[in-house]
Amino acid sequence: MSEILGCEKVTKRFGGLTALNEVSLSVVKGEIFGIIGPNGSGKTTLLNVITGLIRLDEGRILLDGRDITKLKPHERVKLGIARMFQGMRVFPYLPVYLNVELVARSIYGDVRLARARTSWALTMSGLLPEAGELPIRLTPYKLRMLEFARILVSNPKIALLDEPFAGLTPDEAEAMIGLIRKFNSLGVTFVIVEHKLRYLMRIANRVAVLNQGVKIAEGRPEDVVRNPQVIEVYLGVS
Amino acid sequence: MYVDIYKYILLFSIFHSSTYLTFSLGFSMLFGVAKIPNLAYGSLYILSAYVMYALTTYIGLEPLVAALVAILVAGLASLLIGEVVVKPGLKMPVSVFITTLSVAYIFEEFFRIEMGLRPITLPVYPGVTYVLGVPVSNHWFLILSASLLMFLSLTAFLKYAVLGRSIRAVAESWDESRRLGIDPLKVLRVAFFVAGVYAGATGVLLTPLKALTPTAGWGPLFTAFAIVALGGVGSVTGTLIASFIYGFFEQSMTYVLGSGVASISPLILIVLVLVFRPQGLMGRVE
Amino acid sequence: MVFAKRSAKDLIVGKIPFLIALAVLTLLPLLNVGGFWLDVLTKVNLFLLVTLAIDLYSGTTYYLNLGVSFTFGFAGYSLALLNVYYGIPTEYSMLLAIPISIFFSLAILLPSLKIRGVYFAILSLLVPIIFIGIVTAQPFSLYLGGEGGLRFKQLFLDFARSLPPGIRLTFLQYSYYYISLAAAVVGYVIAYKIGFSDFGFMLRAVGQDEELAEGTGINTLKVKVIGFLISSAYASVAGALYASMRPPVTVDLVVPANTLIPPLTSVIVGGLGTLIGPAIANYLLLLTYELLWGLIGRWRVIAYMLLLIIIITIKPQGIVFKAYVEARKFLRGVFSE
Repeated sequence: MSEILGCEKVTKRFGGLTALNEVSLSVVKGEIFGIIGPNGSGKTTLLNVITGLIRLDEGRILLDGRDITKLKPHERVKLGIARMFQGMRVFPYLPVYLNVELVARSIYGDVRLARARTSWALTMSGLLPEAGELPIRLTPYKLRMLEFARILVSNPKIALLDEPFAGLTPDEAEAMIGLIRKFNSLGVTFVIVEHKLRYLMRIANRVAVLNQGVKIAEGRPEDVVRNPQVIEVYLGVS
Repeated sequence: MYVDIYKYILLFSIFHSSTYLTFSLGFSMLFGVAKIPNLAYGSLYILSAYVMYALTTYIGLEPLVAALVAILVAGLASLLIGEVVVKPGLKMPVSVFITTLSVAYIFEEFFRIEMGLRPITLPVYPGVTYVLGVPVSNHWFLILSASLLMFLSLTAFLKYAVLGRSIRAVAESWDESRRLGIDPLKVLRVAFFVAGVYAGATGVLLTPLKALTPTAGWGPLFTAFAIVALGGVGSVTGTLIASFIYGFFEQSMTYVLGSGVASISPLILIVLVLVFRPQGLMGRVE
Repeated sequence: MVFAKRSAKDLIVGKIPFLIALAVLTLLPLLNVGGFWLDVLTKVNLFLLVTLAIDLYSGTTYYLNLGVSFTFGFAGYSLALLNVYYGIPTEYSMLLAIPISIFFSLAILLPSLKIRGVYFAILSLLVPIIFIGIVTAQPFSLYLGGEGGLRFKQLFLDFARSLPPGIRLTFLQYSYYYISLAAAVVGYVIAYKIGFSDFGFMLRAVGQDEELAEGTGINTLKVKVIGFLISSAYASVAGALYASMRPPVTVDLVVPANTLIPPLTSVIVGGLGTLIGPAIANYLLLLTYELLWGLIGRWRVIAYMLLLIIIITIKPQGIVFKAYVEARKFLRGVFSE
């Protein structure tokens, strides 16, 4: 059991507000790690800190034992951290294949390798027929697949998904679970942030619970949902 | 001798700052409401001055009456610019940049053709008063009191009047104010008119001391730009403080470097401020 | 890739308008269009480079860089200063002025790249204004020529003097025209290659969602800096060539009304980031502007500005590009028959 991603006492303040307060996590290689918590509990901020979009005030981020706290976002992507954003974020006026290829081009120096990886990622996510379309013409599910393709193309060690099931029908969510399981078995570690617990509880090996920027519980899903503190702040509310 | 210079700088930075304040207040309020800088704002300054010039020289109206008419014309012109040029482009700030800039050039070109490049001037409020041993034209006191009055009335208007409060709400958020039952476009109209009046008043007040040419609108526009950048968009207190920083800096530089370089030295200050504090001195951190 | 391939017919049809325009512009001087129009076309050719400079950077990233006229004018002033104070012939000082102007534009405007939105536009507009202030202000105006400008020998003047008096002016006009045309054609082809390369699409990605671009691995700062560098290079080349042909250099080169508004208008009317649209608009609008001179004299500025307001207000953006796409569809229809 070796750690792939570690957060050590991560603290982030916005003005007078503490968004993250000494949050520590240890994600093990090959697992599916869930982060849950009510709205505004700091889940997305934590992902932003891990990907480097937000500078943290205190603490360290480790990838494979290496301190990456000072690295820029694009450098972290190169080291193997891929991210799916909340709410289907794509480049709306670039065709589907370019949405993926630009990521590949910024990671691989070689153009042909980038193109090959792009074709592969589009095939895996079933987007080849729509490759030349603009994203505005895609269904929500296909948009999610586009984001998934963007993750695959960078050949990540660890993929951070921010609410991957939001806006999907039950069938589509099942397909998404299938894809996550498949690439997990191929060696990709997943960190999944979810507001809804239904799907996450099925695939996560371990879950951490955030509330108001503080980690209040961590453990196996079935243990966590029985934790009285979690029931009070999270399940009790919803 | 040196004491005199300090007195001079202090006095005249207060006088100059008060004109920057009135002019920038309208610009700042409009910027806050429309979220887009109105580059035609400087034209209202020259428009009101030229209108007053025409009324006093050709028709022979009393200066006070002519001034009031000229200010009203500037307000209406501003309203028209808002309706015809700014409103259709609200969703695309770049195009408003171009269209308001075009309006500014239309005014400049029109007065160039009609009035020529020869500087004109307006009647000065007569008399000189000695303050701390420094001779000051009474016209400066007229400007100072008018500016003070305009500043206080705008502050009161924004704070207590229903319309003024709507202006602040719209500047805060268009969507929120719509939810509160405010029509942002109506508020925008009011903001345009008030801004036009403030620009027009500055033109009428300041032209007697500074000669006016068709290109005279640009200087005040960039000053307003700079002050708003320094003080934060839509912030009345910020505009007040920024105007005085600007005026003091400019006046001191005039005595250190001579009037040529001094006029641009505040702009350089603004660039530095923007680079290191993009939200302005008084602006909030997002 | 399969979906990126274009058919041979597409390529031919796509290049036809470009080749026709090239042929017309190449042959036009031979039709004896007159010195005035040759001068105008020379100017319009060089302004194409400024239009492309704006479209390549601001049209893709939506960072509105209004400092382009500073870069343009700074190249002109560098050229004049090298010529006047160091005695370097115009032909060489023109070439030296380009890197100098690029360097200063980057040095001055780069720190502002972290500023977003409308503040960046304001800041970049202040730069040419400050430059004008410096050039016309007391101590500096003595060295920089002030309002009257800096005089120097225009491009090829020494060579022209060795020619018979009757053809001197003609030689200068024709050589300037073809230099400007060559610069416009090369500039356009390179801009097209850059604009529709992976790098060009990265610029667009930054414009469409900068945070997403950063978070998915694009080095946004590097992309913006390189984009800015290319844009400045275009404006510098245009400025150096333009100034070398029309001494003296004056602040007119930097005044936004002269060297910023016309190209910026072309970019907006032409269609942001489409390159072909702004290029066509550049010729249409600037030639219209000159035609108005003959029709209504000094009212042309007002008429032109009114026309602009009407076009932009009614059809906010990209009217020329849309017309071009329609024309190509029509052409393709004709060819497939």
